[in-house]
Amino acid sequence: MNNLIYIFLQALTILMLAPLVNGLIRKMKAFIQKRQGASIFQMYYDLYKLVRKGSVVSEVSSWIFKATPYIFFASALVAAMLVPVSTIILPKHIPGDFIVLVSVLGLGRFFMMLAALDTASTFGGMGSSREAMVSTLIEPTILVSLFTIGLISQSTSLSQIMLTVQGAGFPLAHPVYIMVFLALLIVIIAESARIPIDDPSTHLELTMIHEAMILEYSGRHLALMEYGAAIKQLVFMTLLVNVLVPHDQIIAFTGFLALFLSLLIYFFKILILTGIIALIEINTVKFRLFSIPNMAAFAFILSFLGILQYFILGGSNV
Amino acid sequence: MGLLLQIIPVITVALLFVIKKNRIMHIISLSTSSLLLIIAAYLTGQVILYGTVEYSSLGRFFYIDALSIIILDIVLLIAFMVSIYSVGYMEEEIRLGKLAKRRLRIYYILMHSFLFTMILALTVRNMGLMWIAIEATTLASAFLVGFYSDKNALEAAWKYVIICSVGIAIALLGITLLNFSSLNILEGRLLLDWTALYEHAEFLQNSSLRLAFIFILVGFGTKAGLAPMHTWLPDAHSQAPSPISALLSGVLLNSAMYGIIRTVAIVNRNEGSSVYTGRLLIALGILSIATAAIFILTQKDYKRLLAYSSIEHMGIIAVAIGIFSPLSVFGALLHMINHSLTKSMLFLSTGNILQKYKTKEIAKIKGVLKSLPVSGTVFLLGLFAIAGTPPFSIFASELSIMISIFQEKFFGLGVIFILLIAIVFAGIALNLFKMFYGEAQDKNLQPGDGNMPGTVCLVVLLLVIAITGIFIPEGVKELIIRAQNIIIG
Amino acid sequence: MFDFLLETLSVLILLSAFALMANKRISSYIRTFRIQSISIALAAGIMGIQSSQAEGRFDFLIVCLLIVALKVVYIPHLLHKTYANVKYKVEKDFILNIPIMIIICCGLVLFSYFALASIEGLGQGLLNLQFVNSVSVIWIGLFFMISRKKAIGQIIGFLVIENGLYIAAMLSTNGMPLVVDLGIFLDMLTAVMIMGLMVFRINDKFDSIDIDKLNHLKG
Repeated sequence: MNNLIYIFLQALTILMLAPLVNGLIRKMKAFIQKRQGASIFQMYYDLYKLVRKGSVVSEVSSWIFKATPYIFFASALVAAMLVPVSTIILPKHIPGDFIVLVSVLGLGRFFMMLAALDTASTFGGMGSSREAMVSTLIEPTILVSLFTIGLISQSTSLSQIMLTVQGAGFPLAHPVYIMVFLALLIVIIAESARIPIDDPSTHLELTMIHEAMILEYSGRHLALMEYGAAIKQLVFMTLLVNVLVPHDQIIAFTGFLALFLSLLIYFFKILILTGIIALIEINTVKFRLFSIPNMAAFAFILSFLGILQYFILGGSNV
Repeated sequence: MGLLLQIIPVITVALLFVIKKNRIMHIISLSTSSLLLIIAAYLTGQVILYGTVEYSSLGRFFYIDALSIIILDIVLLIAFMVSIYSVGYMEEEIRLGKLAKRRLRIYYILMHSFLFTMILALTVRNMGLMWIAIEATTLASAFLVGFYSDKNALEAAWKYVIICSVGIAIALLGITLLNFSSLNILEGRLLLDWTALYEHAEFLQNSSLRLAFIFILVGFGTKAGLAPMHTWLPDAHSQAPSPISALLSGVLLNSAMYGIIRTVAIVNRNEGSSVYTGRLLIALGILSIATAAIFILTQKDYKRLLAYSSIEHMGIIAVAIGIFSPLSVFGALLHMINHSLTKSMLFLSTGNILQKYKTKEIAKIKGVLKSLPVSGTVFLLGLFAIAGTPPFSIFASELSIMISIFQEKFFGLGVIFILLIAIVFAGIALNLFKMFYGEAQDKNLQPGDGNMPGTVCLVVLLLVIAITGIFIPEGVKELIIRAQNIIIG
Repeated sequence: MFDFLLETLSVLILLSAFALMANKRISSYIRTFRIQSISIALAAGIMGIQSSQAEGRFDFLIVCLLIVALKVVYIPHLLHKTYANVKYKVEKDFILNIPIMIIICCGLVLFSYFALASIEGLGQGLLNLQFVNSVSVIWIGLFFMISRKKAIGQIIGFLVIENGLYIAAMLSTNGMPLVVDLGIFLDMLTAVMIMGLMVFRINDKFDSIDIDKLNHLKG
């Protein structure tokens, strides 16, 4: 019973924060570009507005089109339960590990691609094929980097990994973690459909990937899709900051205050990462589609070097 | 005295920079190489008397023992011959308009720097310095290979620089590993010092030494022209001016082989047997002989054919070092001497042929014996010699290598060895003997040798290889046996 | 702290070799080479500070200065000059596409790991890590030379091999004797100058620096 409450709390944190993070990135970009920008709460308003509206469904589409928003949102929700925002919230034995995480997200992605094909619009098919390419290229990197950390902590469970890494003190002072950190940073950019892989703010047919797939959705369905994507993005960001820059070891006491402090630090870390992502978005231009494999290859090299350095070191003094 | 060996070429190069007249350049070059030869003779005497030559005032820099003096003598003897030959050859090239007059200075500067780097490689004690000197030989000779600056020469020079630099770089990795293997035993100035490594060979760390050997073999093997790293060799030898081809083939390959032999001595002493190095050397050696045999059979360019023959002979030396019995090492060293003398003689005589006929294609040349009575005869007899016919000296050394192969009970190897050498013989006979008979197609050819001093050199070399084929002077034998003792330990 | 920096630098050097492999233009080759050389100079500087504090040796610091002067400043400048003088059309310069070459490079790193794992005494932590990395840089440099068709690409490949050798010598065996180091620098400098000169001549004679055109000598 306790477990359930913890997991609920955990998921709730991510659910609450996800639209805010999206808004923060937008606001920071606007700030760097010396614009006013929308409020950081804009995405909450958008979601609220969309949920109240009915959705238009194409006559030629099948049940997949209608089911996908729910499946996609559910997969994001499950992912949110798997990645601990704080080891203080989370019980020691959480069911599921990072392999489940990757496959659950994969399920959501699969249905999203199917649904985009389902309406038989040209943009949908284009978006799905591109998404399939990007995800095939980027998934090995996610798995290899996570396996590297898994090897170090001798476990695939994310909470276990976090506890081990916390024991290591400041892990970024080691080449293995640096490599994995950089690899996962590229993964976040690719997975959350940001520049230079994809541009979240345009509907230009030549460049769209994610937007092309959800182009046919409206109203409630669109809200679920956008919300799910935001959750997915925050899940990956959480993974990065909590696994590679752990913070719970510095909180010496327990109890409610500890939890509050832990969440505060967590939010602070997310804020910094948001800044980094905004900076990257501002400073790069979108790649041509054919350059994406090179970027993915670079990310893979980082994770590959990470895992190799682990073996070369003999794994003992990581 | 020994240091003069290193200083004189440097002074010569400096002098050549300031001198204007071609005539004086010839004189300087001649006097330098004869001076060096005299010093080498003196040092040989010292080595026979005292075993090694080293100067304590210089720290552990300079070192000559029987092994290095043998190769040093070959280097300086051939350099002497080449500088005599160059006088006539280069004047003729200038007269024919193939080279501008001012290029002579560059030729001599490069040639003597090349000579300097080879002398340096043979007289230093430190393996690291030896590596540097061997790398420098590539750099000094790069523009000599591309001396004619036409498309083919440039292509050959580019391949030569790139392949050899990379190969040598790999040898540096080997040297690093060699250094690593000795870190627990040696320190400070003794690091990479050959004598120190050799004395403490038993204590070196075996596994890194083994890796070091592979890298050094590949690296210096590239320079020595062992297959499959030989691809630069035929190009470079065929495109370089003939005197330089003689230097490359007769001298440079030996200097690289010298590096390998030094390493083999350390590794075998460390291993306590020659099985490990032997296998690698024999494999590369046989591969080189086989590659050369195939290419010789189908060759259309006589300078390239001779280049492939150099690969073959380097292969034979590698096999002999790989067998590592006293007789085979003796044979290998003797073969080095014989091959250098014979091959440089052949390359020098191709210079005469090339200047007469102005083509490198075998098919276009007929009646060499008529148009070039002396150098044609030398070339013909030289071909017999290089293919291993008695009474020339190569026969003697090849025979002793073959005997040693059978003595050590490598029967299969022996059979393959003999077979391949027979193929090479057939290839040389088949391709080159056509050149000698018949009438020259071009009726305007004037019979006569030209380049008198050069031709005299050829005859002298021919006499040397003919005589040493029958009997080896006591002093040489003594030196070779000492070198053999150094290698085998 | 020093150890961490050296480890990270050695990984960075390897990473820069990969980056070089992924580069498409000659100017970016030169830039990547410069970055790699800066990392090597840093590593030499760190080792220099370490050894001058511990043993009073200054050879690493001298070497560090030399690397900065030659590999960071002079040679890239020389290459830029050569490149600017050679008429050069933008063409596809490599034989395979980039991701495949990158994967082959991964194989090379694995290969050198397994080849070197057999050495005893290399297994002690740091030493092994850096040695495998630097040997991998050598192999990647070799592969780079094979995979590029332009003559300047080959020069860069040679320089990367040299860098790898240098870092291998420095990190695994605490440096060669200083005389040897200096000699290696001298050789390398001459080699690059000779190669650069040859690029000019090849460009003169062949109207291109594509070494696929150097194919007259065969057999």
